[in-house]
Amino acid sequence: MSWAAHDLEPYAIQKHLGVKVAFVPLAIGSYSPDLLSKWFVYGIDVLGIELRADDPVQFHRGWPGVGFTHSLGYGVLIAALIWLVFGSRIWAWSFLLGHWAHALTDTGDTIGTMLFFPFSTETFGIGAWAYAGQYGRLIDAGAYFSGLGFVWDGVFVVYGLISWRMLKREYFHDVIVRADPRFWGWMGRWLPETALVALYRASFFYGTTRWVAWIIWAHVIHDFPLDLSWGGPQWVDAAYD
Amino acid sequence: MSELRLYLVAAVAYITIGVAFPTVLYSWVEGTAFLLLVVWILPSLIRRLR
Repeated sequence: MSWAAHDLEPYAIQKHLGVKVAFVPLAIGSYSPDLLSKWFVYGIDVLGIELRADDPVQFHRGWPGVGFTHSLGYGVLIAALIWLVFGSRIWAWSFLLGHWAHALTDTGDTIGTMLFFPFSTETFGIGAWAYAGQYGRLIDAGAYFSGLGFVWDGVFVVYGLISWRMLKREYFHDVIVRADPRFWGWMGRWLPETALVALYRASFFYGTTRWVAWIIWAHVIHDFPLDLSWGGPQWVDAAYD
Repeated sequence: MSELRLYLVAAVAYITIGVAFPTVLYSWVEGTAFLLLVVWILPSLIRRLR
């Protein structure tokens, strides 16, 4: 799993493809594999009752489970539905790109993703950083921000900062709105331009600030040992497929 | 420039709050609401009150 890449990758894709992609479905696609399942991986407390998957790893990435949301075919299916329901090719295509970016990025951890479900339930992963979601959100954060996962996120933070012009109002007008005038025109009926631009920048703000905050939390407030070895940090008992 | 300043204030505040209370960092919706509050709603209110 990734903690900030899914927020930031849509900006990199948008910058490269310009008006050929629409930002909103791109971002929704990037969040979509975890959209309805992540809370159940970490667990939540509802009126004193803890709701959590018995086997978070299996639930999140496996089958039986909802691991199919990280398959390439699932992205195609939802994109096809978007095309059928909304009749927008650019929304379907942009969603697909965002979704695939997420599914492929998550192959970086020690579990990987079932890319070719339903044809295969095998997970594909390069095992660069430890998957530790089974220990709850805070341990997972400590592990993630001590291994190569946060370095991968950092690539997109730095890329975004270098490409700061794509966050300007001019870029919002010339590229983001031009690529998807229907959505932004509709939003513009309710919100002023300052709010629309802030919404466009929101995922970048969220991903970057969260990346900084978790690093401070893990290494200044707490003392999680940094370990940039492949598959690390080794101090956490990572889940493997 | 004043717009950039607002975003920097929002970023520093969000990071500070997030480090102190990590649960704040869990939700994209809360993060976005915080950003809108700092860069749009509060400045608009202040302008109206002046």
